[in-house]
Amino acid sequence: MADLATFSQPFKRLFGKKKLKPIAFTDLFARFQNILHENNTVMKIMADMSTKAGGDFVFDKKYLVDCILEIGKSVQRSAYHLNFITANRYLEVFEVIEKLVKDLEVELSTKTPAYQMQRLYYLDQVEEGMEEAVGYKTFNLARMINLPDANVPCGFVVSVAGFRDYLAYNNLFEGIDALMKRLEDGTDSVENVSRSIRLMILGGEIPPYLRQEILSAAKQIGGPKAEEMLYSVRSSAVGEDGDWSFAGLYDSFLNVPFGELLAGYKKVMASLYSQSSLEYRIRKNLSHMEMAISVLYQKMAAGRVSGVFYSLDPNWPERPESVLSAGWGLGKLVVEGEGPVDSFRVQRDPPHFVTEQRIVRKDRMIASTGQGVIEEVPAAMQEDPCLNPDEIRQIAEVGLMLERFFKIPLDVEWSLDREGKLWILQARRLHIEAAKQSTHESLQEIVGRQRVLLAERGMIAYRGVGTGPITLVETHEDLNRFPSGGVLVSHYAHPWLAKAIPKASAIVTDIGTVAGHMATVAREFRVPAIVGAEGATQVLTENMEVTVDAERNRVYEGCVDELVKHQLIKKPTFEITSEFQQLRRLLKKITPLYLVDPDGADFDARGCKTIHDLVRFIHQKAFQALTRPGESPRQLFKQGAKQLKSNVPLDLVVIDIGGGLAKDGEENSYVFPRQFTSFPMQAFWRGLSSPQTWDTEPVSVDFKSLMASLIRTQTAEVTGGRAPMINLAVIGANYLNLSLPLGYHYTAVDAAVGPSPRNNYIFFRFVGGVTDMTRRSRRAVLLSSVLEQADFKVEVNGDLVIARLTDLEKDQIGERLFLIGKLIGFARQLDVLLKADADIDFYAKKFADQMTAVKASGSVS
Amino acid sequence: MQNKTSICILDDEPIVGDRLKPELEDDGYEVEIFIDSASALERVQQRCFDIFITDLKMEGVDGIGFLERVKKLWPTSEVIVITGYGTLETARESLIKGAYDFIPKPFRIEDIRTAVKKAKKKVKHQQKD
Repeated sequence: MADLATFSQPFKRLFGKKKLKPIAFTDLFARFQNILHENNTVMKIMADMSTKAGGDFVFDKKYLVDCILEIGKSVQRSAYHLNFITANRYLEVFEVIEKLVKDLEVELSTKTPAYQMQRLYYLDQVEEGMEEAVGYKTFNLARMINLPDANVPCGFVVSVAGFRDYLAYNNLFEGIDALMKRLEDGTDSVENVSRSIRLMILGGEIPPYLRQEILSAAKQIGGPKAEEMLYSVRSSAVGEDGDWSFAGLYDSFLNVPFGELLAGYKKVMASLYSQSSLEYRIRKNLSHMEMAISVLYQKMAAGRVSGVFYSLDPNWPERPESVLSAGWGLGKLVVEGEGPVDSFRVQRDPPHFVTEQRIVRKDRMIASTGQGVIEEVPAAMQEDPCLNPDEIRQIAEVGLMLERFFKIPLDVEWSLDREGKLWILQARRLHIEAAKQSTHESLQEIVGRQRVLLAERGMIAYRGVGTGPITLVETHEDLNRFPSGGVLVSHYAHPWLAKAIPKASAIVTDIGTVAGHMATVAREFRVPAIVGAEGATQVLTENMEVTVDAERNRVYEGCVDELVKHQLIKKPTFEITSEFQQLRRLLKKITPLYLVDPDGADFDARGCKTIHDLVRFIHQKAFQALTRPGESPRQLFKQGAKQLKSNVPLDLVVIDIGGGLAKDGEENSYVFPRQFTSFPMQAFWRGLSSPQTWDTEPVSVDFKSLMASLIRTQTAEVTGGRAPMINLAVIGANYLNLSLPLGYHYTAVDAAVGPSPRNNYIFFRFVGGVTDMTRRSRRAVLLSSVLEQADFKVEVNGDLVIARLTDLEKDQIGERLFLIGKLIGFARQLDVLLKADADIDFYAKKFADQMTAVKASGSVS
Repeated sequence: MQNKTSICILDDEPIVGDRLKPELEDDGYEVEIFIDSASALERVQQRCFDIFITDLKMEGVDGIGFLERVKKLWPTSEVIVITGYGTLETARESLIKGAYDFIPKPFRIEDIRTAVKKAKKKVKHQQKD
């Protein structure tokens, strides 16, 4: 580690008047390696923190404090090294670090999240820890937004801060307090107090700024025809759906036209003080609790049929059935128990057969097109069941998926529209009395008598229990047929499995680590997962019914219903502890990578939103400073760079930053490919030099010679007299950075492998060409399709292709680098050949065939 | 039915007890949790626990102090020490003072399960003698 004297050197260079001697290239590289080391430390801590979010570890506050401290120290050291290398060009990085680390510390110092409460949030802005600000109804809906198949109508919420603003603007605090005091003293009746307060609220005026905010948000969610749309305006009070059930005590309004949205706001607020709500408070002795309400606005889902789904029967929870009730039109009558409804008992196991149904005459409904009043159901429909078996299955699948996600018995409000789209309007805990829960046998006894198929083979990536039939997934086709509620079993923890994860009840893989990408996704969707369970795919076979116990690290034969119900009804989920919520909030500020394109306009220090961004930024800028500006090949060779000699028609200068090259006899100014000891470079080179990569079919002779000249490095004339651009590879034992200004293209590859998959990444960028934009874009499409199939996340913009890949095992990274090497050679003159869109598929197939051929010959790894 | 093995957990960070209690109860143990040593000591005067799990660094009587008192009061019980300040020195000291096992934080739930299982065996053996 560098000492203080060297730390202060950047500042001496900044403030000292004497011009300092240029620092030797090797010294700069030593600093660069320090940066790699520090960044690795940060990435390791990041990986460690992510795995802790899976619930298999017990950690405490001190652990979080220590992690943040270490991260802060490391990025700061990294920033010092960067400024040393660049002669203090990036001093603003220190400010950014200070701000980011301070944010993390604030997050640590409070139990509730560190944010300034806004008056209004769109549903996708609601974050963990905002329950109190937006109410549980809104909070739970916001958590479902990213779940596939659970459609949540888009919306926004006016938070508790908006409510307080309203009271303050209209000077209502004192008046309400005085009236509530009279209620507590018993000097006034509930009826009087309720009426007086409601009149005060309804008589107030919405502050102009809040009025403005509500209407523009409604326009935002309503789209171009917002003013003709209908909305729901619903209460989302603190405590409602939470520990206290104020359910149904506050008002909600459906089918509200745009012009009445503001009046609706006041009406919902006033219902906080309704007679029944005040009576409930007195009865439960909650009068001391602060009263506040948020109001949720959503676009109306045009319900053809609506109802309620109970994931379990609250009176008979041990039965393997869910309970579904449904009526025509919007759900208000069903929810409030005021209308006639059909009811169904539905098996929890797929394919969710109906075991019992009661179809009644349904003569009244609230139509989705009307003014929210009760109408007569057309005579022909009154006696019909309002759901068919397919619709019942659809509702049960989504309802049980939500139950797996929330990990509690659920009461779900839903609506099916005319197009058959299923909308989720609310999900909350279904209360089941303790007396109804069977307790005759201890859990230990139950678990003890199961037939164990696998025991303590792998690592737990996310704790919990899941049951269902096994689907073995090996190909993308297997993914497409993956059933909701199935147990996903796979040899590799492929990142592309992510698509099926939200549907899965549990996951088991032969190979994989808790820090890998798939494990991260499993945690995000809260799916119990055991990874690295060697031999699992041999024991667990297609369609076999199993229970995955990712708490005791076992897989049992069959469905262990008692265990599943125990988890669901009795066991608190580990994520409710405040340290877990803190960890999740911290991770959101640490791990996402937003700074992607090093040549993008936003790639500067102030664009760093997370620690991961910072690490990436510092690395990139340090690297650029070392390799790009003003370094002529001659200077580079003086500093120890070598010319590569090979059969591949590519001029390449190689710089070894440590462990990338083996000595080959005496010291020369050139090296051979056989001397590569860098893992990523070896893999890349195998691809680049593999058969067929460089023998594209003949283009016209003139063109060929042109292309040939272009493959060579551009000359000073081409680059406009600037220092010549060179094809440069900077390699280390586990590191590769390539910049290839080949012809008119510019290709960059940055890749590293580290102690855990979290450290492993490949970044690939490709831009340019000699042909018109259409042909170049065709090539971009081709590249992206090849890369996407190889698990890359790809962005295409015109002829620019940016691809990223992280969290893979070392050998998987090697395979992808092979592919990149081959692709660079293959694609170099493709823009010329891609004369029509149809050619894209032709050449994509050609490339795939070549890859298959080399794979078959075993030369990939 | 056989009496349940009893466990007392003392850690000033509530998350430790909150996480361990449901897990150990699932395994059939009887668990009480405390977040300050004063109230834990008061309870320990009243009744015996078969196994104690204690943090080291705490306000008032610290983990080592608690360990000594418990061993004096209930010599056939066993104590497992957990700490976020896991150094060789602290480990050595706790073991010398009679701790059965020493587990640095953060730890896997499985680590505690295994330690508790082994401690239980030893306690049952000692209680028979």
